[in-house]
Amino acid sequence: MRDWNCKWLRFVHLLGLIATAAAAPVIQAAEGPLIMGVFPRFNASETTTRYTPLADYLHERLGRKIILVTSRDFQSFWQGIEERRYDIVQYNQYHYIRSAKTYQVIAHNKEFGKSTIAGVIFVRKDSGITSLAQLRGRTVLFGGGEDAMIGYIAPVYMMLQAGLKKDEFKSLFAVTPINSVIGVYHKQADAAGTGDGVIGQPAIRNAINTDELTALAVSEQLLHLPWSVKRTMPAQLRKTIQSSLVDLENSEAGKNVLKAALLTGIGKAEDKDYEPHRKMVRAVMGPR
Amino acid sequence: MRLGLGAKFTLTVLFILAGTTAANTLYDLNASARFHEQQLIERGRALGRLISLVSPEAILGYDFLQLNDYTREVCAQPDVVYGVITSPEGVALSSYIDGSDPLIKKQLDRTGSRDMLKLLQNLDGQDGLISLQFPITHDGKLLGHFLVGLSRQALQSEFRRQLMIKIQVLTAVVLFLSVAIYAVFRFNVLHPIQRLIAASRNVGRGQHAIVEVKSSDELGLLARAFNTMAEGIREEQAKLHRQANFDTLTGLPNRLMAFDRIDKEISRAKRSGERFAVLFIDLDDFKSVNDSLGHAIGDRLLVGIGARVQAVMRDADTVARLAGDEFLVLASDVVSEAQVEKVAERLLQAVAEPQELDGRKVVAHCSIGIALYPDNGDNAETLVANADNAMYQAKTTQQQGTATFFTEEMNTRLRNRVQMEQDLRVAIELGQLTLNFQPIVDTVGGRHRGAEVLLRWNHPERGAISPAEFIPVAEADGQIVEIGDWVLEQACRYWSAWRASGIDSGFLAINISRIQFRRRFSARLAELMSIHDIPPKALELEITESVLLDDHRQVAEELSSLRAVGIKLSLDDFGTGYSSLSYLKRFRFDALKIDRSFVAGVPGDPDDVLLVKAILAMAAGFGLKVVAEGVENHDQLSFVAAQGCDLAQGYLIARPMNEDLYRGYLKNLQAGVEPQRLSATL
Repeated sequence: MRDWNCKWLRFVHLLGLIATAAAAPVIQAAEGPLIMGVFPRFNASETTTRYTPLADYLHERLGRKIILVTSRDFQSFWQGIEERRYDIVQYNQYHYIRSAKTYQVIAHNKEFGKSTIAGVIFVRKDSGITSLAQLRGRTVLFGGGEDAMIGYIAPVYMMLQAGLKKDEFKSLFAVTPINSVIGVYHKQADAAGTGDGVIGQPAIRNAINTDELTALAVSEQLLHLPWSVKRTMPAQLRKTIQSSLVDLENSEAGKNVLKAALLTGIGKAEDKDYEPHRKMVRAVMGPR
Repeated sequence: MRLGLGAKFTLTVLFILAGTTAANTLYDLNASARFHEQQLIERGRALGRLISLVSPEAILGYDFLQLNDYTREVCAQPDVVYGVITSPEGVALSSYIDGSDPLIKKQLDRTGSRDMLKLLQNLDGQDGLISLQFPITHDGKLLGHFLVGLSRQALQSEFRRQLMIKIQVLTAVVLFLSVAIYAVFRFNVLHPIQRLIAASRNVGRGQHAIVEVKSSDELGLLARAFNTMAEGIREEQAKLHRQANFDTLTGLPNRLMAFDRIDKEISRAKRSGERFAVLFIDLDDFKSVNDSLGHAIGDRLLVGIGARVQAVMRDADTVARLAGDEFLVLASDVVSEAQVEKVAERLLQAVAEPQELDGRKVVAHCSIGIALYPDNGDNAETLVANADNAMYQAKTTQQQGTATFFTEEMNTRLRNRVQMEQDLRVAIELGQLTLNFQPIVDTVGGRHRGAEVLLRWNHPERGAISPAEFIPVAEADGQIVEIGDWVLEQACRYWSAWRASGIDSGFLAINISRIQFRRRFSARLAELMSIHDIPPKALELEITESVLLDDHRQVAEELSSLRAVGIKLSLDDFGTGYSSLSYLKRFRFDALKIDRSFVAGVPGDPDDVLLVKAILAMAAGFGLKVVAEGVENHDQLSFVAAQGCDLAQGYLIARPMNEDLYRGYLKNLQAGVEPQRLSATL
């Protein structure tokens, strides 16, 4: 009897081992690396430098490896969005609005201590332009491309609101909002479309004398750049990621991670926080 | 400041080295500066091309930050002081300047403007700045320009640094080379030259110097040439010394050496207290030897005499030839005058010893004057002068061929003689000389025939001076030529005046000196006769035998010339000199005059009687007229007249008279008034 019991126990153990071995790949697959995509706001190497600490932080907090993926340009980045290659992604507000069916916003950036940012149209003080209507027939240099929320959509929205039509002014695009302001300063355009935080940045203060510029129009404050995850992501993981991001500003280590990414914090966000953005996008880009 | 050869050479080398190295250094540095500036420009161009290449994308994308990065990167390059990217319209899209650069800072401080384009305009053309501009294009479209400014400051600083380093290095090199060259020059050139200089000084001091020849280069050749020259100088000096101190004819010491020996002997004698004698030897009538036998024989005679004189003297004594026929003997360490007399005697004998020259026996005689140290002088000049004086006294006051010791009285005579010479020089001018005339008459009948012209000197202090006293002086110093000429002219003038007065004065017998005769006397006489229109018969020239001792050929020619114009000649003072009958044979005379010393003894002195008779007989044989001089009484006149003497002259007939008296004398004769005479015979 005792031998039989022993044999039974041995059989149970063997079954357990077999079951464990069979289940191992499934467990491993459930804890696989998460892909973190960051839109090419900076070049690839700078993006890697600035966001690797955050990836490492999430890896530590989630217990899962985080793979940071950079893109050489917006087109390839957007292709990654459309192909849903990213588990976690940071992009601009317009990107989120366009990808809201597949990605769910969980947080937003805080930059320069602010959670919001407004679109601004700058002109030179000596240009004689004092109203948006005077931009009719003029050249406007926008920061970023047509998918730039703050650098293009918000300024154009204000111009449209002022009664101008898109074909009543010439649109030029600088690679960044800062460059659009510098371009106006150097009289390469009559007005610059950019964000309200640009003018105070050291980069632009070092480059030009900002006293020679004035803000012709400022939009409403819009929530900053969003952090989204796949809508297919388990809720627990989504929450864990959200809380991990929000917790960053609560520790010195987290602040260092934020500082590396040129952020002052990350706050919670949900889809309705981007309704103002959707309103502007629809006005400027038309329904899609 | 006097620079030596070494200093001059080294300074020259120093200047050449410094000049060439400085020129080379400047050339190198300039070339280097040009090269580095070219490199700087090339670097600027490379930057410009690079920026022009990468900028279009940023410009087209309005990526001003990128442009700023470019310009910042450009300005981070060494020597770049500004980089500016402008739009085609000239708007500065991106710029970066180095405000620390002195040029930029100066402009900023000066203008106070931050306007980049104005700043660039002000900087344009600045010497310390290279401004380059590059177009930025894209697909052929001009997008802007890239302006870059390169500072030459670093280049210039580097140029100055390199220059200082090179100056220091080259200064050290040049100084080192100069010192080295000077050392080599000093060793190889200056030392040999200094040896030559020292040797030259030695040669200059009369020392024989030979320079060691150490090399075969130019200095070696110079040293050899110097040695040859020094040897030549030594030989020449020896030759000159010999010429200066020795007589080339006899090989005896000359006057200079003789005086030097006397000086040394004086020094020696002063120390030792010894005496020595200076014997002045002068050959008697040596001129006649030269004239009659020729100078070659005369020279050989002098050589022989010199040798014989030397032979009779001791080795310690000096025998010198002073000049012509003058010899000097320095006899040292003499004890007494008697010893010197013996020496003089030996010398007289040695000189008088006959010599066989060209087959002829030639005999010379000499007169010797002796001066003793310290008795007759304490220096060479005095001793020789006193010996000479003594010799002269021996010749003039004593018989030739004797030796005479100097006495102080000789000097007195000499001084008197010198004074007389001086007084005589002005005697004619002051009218102290006059002519007297002593009549010459026939011994039989007493007819007046003429007169002998006698010269008188009425000295203002000494009164009348005898011709016997001053004529030898005049002959000795040559004044006799002038005086004789004056006498001739005066005589001619008087004769001419008398004739013009209708006075028949007869002839005038004029004494002619031997010295006058040597000066082409006949031509002068012919000239005077022509001037005063004097017929030959009016003159008769009286010459002494001494005239005939001179060159026979010249004397014969002169006498022939005189005879050719009809001048009568009489031989004066016959019997007192050589009285050589050969003269009477060789030279034709018209008359001879018996000297008064013979006439004075007749008729009482048998010797004079014999002599006068002999002269008259001889004259008769030669067909000569005879004039008896010094006839002072009737006995004398009677005697000479009885013996056939033609003419007489003397106090018995008339004393010498001056021209006035003589003219009166002649007028009285012409008027038939008989002069007062002592003679009854006349």
